[in-house]
Amino acid sequence: MRWRKIKQASVWWLLPLFVLTLMLTGCGQHIVTKDVMQQVAESNEITWGVKGDMRLFGLTDIKSGQVKGFEVDLATAISKEVFGKEVKINFVPVNSNTRLPLLRNGNVDALIATMTITPDRKKEIDFSNSYFNAGQAILVKRGSKVKSVKNLTQGTKVIGIQGSNSVVNIKKYAPQSEVLQLADAAQAFAALKSGQGDAMTTDNGILYGLTSDDKSYHVVGGTFTKEPYGIGVNKHQKKFLSAINQALKKLEDNGDYQKLVDKWFGQIAGFDGSVVK
Amino acid sequence: MSMIEFHDVNKYYGKFKALKNINLTIERGEVVTIIGPSGSGKSTLLRTINGLELISSGQLLVDNHDLADPKTDMNRIRKNVGMVFQHFNLYANKTILQNITLGPEKVLKVPHVKAAEDAERLLGLVGLLDQAHKLPSMLSGGQKQRIAIARALAMHPKAILFDEPTSALDPEVIGDVLDVMKKVAEQGMTMIVVTHEMGFAKEVGNRLLFMADGEIREDSNDPREFFRAPQDERAQEFLGKILHVD
Amino acid sequence: MISILTAHWSELVEGMKYTIGSSLIALIGSLILGIIFAMFVISPNRWLRIIGSVYVEIFRNIPLLVVAMFFYIVMPRFVPGLDGFKAGTIGLTIYTSAFIAETFRAGIESVAVGQMEAARSNGMTYLQAMKYIILPQATKIVIPPLGNQFVNLVKNSSVLAFLAGFDLMYQGNLIASTTFKTTDTYLAVGLLYLVMTMPLSYLMRYLEKRWSRLPTV
Repeated sequence: MRWRKIKQASVWWLLPLFVLTLMLTGCGQHIVTKDVMQQVAESNEITWGVKGDMRLFGLTDIKSGQVKGFEVDLATAISKEVFGKEVKINFVPVNSNTRLPLLRNGNVDALIATMTITPDRKKEIDFSNSYFNAGQAILVKRGSKVKSVKNLTQGTKVIGIQGSNSVVNIKKYAPQSEVLQLADAAQAFAALKSGQGDAMTTDNGILYGLTSDDKSYHVVGGTFTKEPYGIGVNKHQKKFLSAINQALKKLEDNGDYQKLVDKWFGQIAGFDGSVVK
Repeated sequence: MSMIEFHDVNKYYGKFKALKNINLTIERGEVVTIIGPSGSGKSTLLRTINGLELISSGQLLVDNHDLADPKTDMNRIRKNVGMVFQHFNLYANKTILQNITLGPEKVLKVPHVKAAEDAERLLGLVGLLDQAHKLPSMLSGGQKQRIAIARALAMHPKAILFDEPTSALDPEVIGDVLDVMKKVAEQGMTMIVVTHEMGFAKEVGNRLLFMADGEIREDSNDPREFFRAPQDERAQEFLGKILHVD
Repeated sequence: MISILTAHWSELVEGMKYTIGSSLIALIGSLILGIIFAMFVISPNRWLRIIGSVYVEIFRNIPLLVVAMFFYIVMPRFVPGLDGFKAGTIGLTIYTSAFIAETFRAGIESVAVGQMEAARSNGMTYLQAMKYIILPQATKIVIPPLGNQFVNLVKNSSVLAFLAGFDLMYQGNLIASTTFKTTDTYLAVGLLYLVMTMPLSYLMRYLEKRWSRLPTV
């Protein structure tokens, strides 16, 4: 009986203690400070955070377990350019919620994961020059009354992807429409198919990937934003960042970059090649 | 019209024959005691009468209703046939008074005040009026069993079944319970009592059944005579053992 | 963490409203469904027993997310208007009800058989015996495990986040991904879940104490 009273009293003391712990841990942001260039030179191994569920960009092949896509190929090319042909390259699938902690903790050395360069994000991490001039578009079922973002008026629902910049934009371009945010493109597309929304919005490249999967849906109205994708690295990795930028420049100049674009987007009907620089 | 009639009743548990070819008629007002070694089918026989066990074949009439007939309302039978268990089975979540009034109120739709009055009368009868607002867990075994008898009486049944009502009790309180049962018998209630209390069988019962191996081996209308000179071989053996212990 | 709480207070509160709403509906719904299916499982009727057991085994052994996704992605084809909040709450209700059914089944079966026999011998119907004798005793037994189920339910309501159900976890995901302050956001969200579940834990503990003291229910 007395034991129980003691236990109850002590539990209430724990609450403020817990809050204090939370605040302390919250304040100290742990950032890996070791230089990536030096680290990779020592280990001859680099790890990229990539998308695992984005057709054309980074999609895990169920049979082999390997991630395949434009970003994976580009990351491979950049790694070989910077660290030599023999470097071992690892790919770790990330999502919007895990990508930043994984980068911060050093689980991945860089992120190439359909991530739009924005001023807000630039406060937290550094971005390379853009490697893909994406733009936002909308996807609807063929025959839908929605022909462009302007048709998304009061009473309509538009499905976006959690944490993507596109949901911020759609609130600007279609302020009357209710925005539903789902965890990833696959779930957003499934929700669109089951009628949870009138349209789905995200970057055009991703939407084209979905149309290649199901022809009864198509992209309408063209792009209405410019959302360049950049490679993300931790702050204080200036040497690594400039090496990435140099490699990008070189791949563009020697035509390897264009070959990758053609490989992944060349077959997509209606793909507007001009958005790619 | 008899109270209870068994015609060629059998009861199986899988291959095991718990009751074999039972033929038995019990008239109103009879006080029947059933004795016999354990596993002889006494309790099973008793529990078939209010449908706690179903018979496998034969015919069983209770208050002129055929229990095997799907149209027979078992709840109506049970209204008229009370039961007192070896382990009392008082409702653990109800007070003593509520244990007695619940059946009349919910089943017979007797108004609460009237049910409570009747319950108090019965509590007086079993000598536990002062315990009315306690919980069963606060009573001794002997007290619990007297309450269980009051609970059965509260339904004003036509018969009451007693399943070894004193077997779980301390020897010094058995007498109190038997006294109550004797009072009930004197009021003319039809009683069927499975028991190991030979004194009760001899003094109060006006009919005695001896069972062994699922059969009724001896059916005596003179219990004193039975104890003096049992006819059945198994009964002789059984009584021999019991008297030896005594 | 404090900055997340102050800067995004209105979204977090909005999320808590949905979380509490969904949890309350699912709590009541799963309690009713759980008791009904527990009665099925222990029913003397063979077909009800089969239906009850199949229901419990299916929903107890499928991840909540799959159940919820089913109502969000598949069911709208047959039932229009099933949005994330509704689909998630239905999924949560059904999933939890399977566990509550199990809890109640165990509770009912732990009440001695003699109690049922006595009630039936007293002339009560099966349902009367359940209502007046068995369930009140079983309820007292199941209060502690039931409390755990309810706390789990509040936490599990975070499944709504995957269905755009506007709950606390959903808002947390959005805040984390827009501010990039992942750690702080989830710490704040965790604290708010704690604020919702702790009183529930204490309420259940209080009920447990009270009911064990009170004899009649």
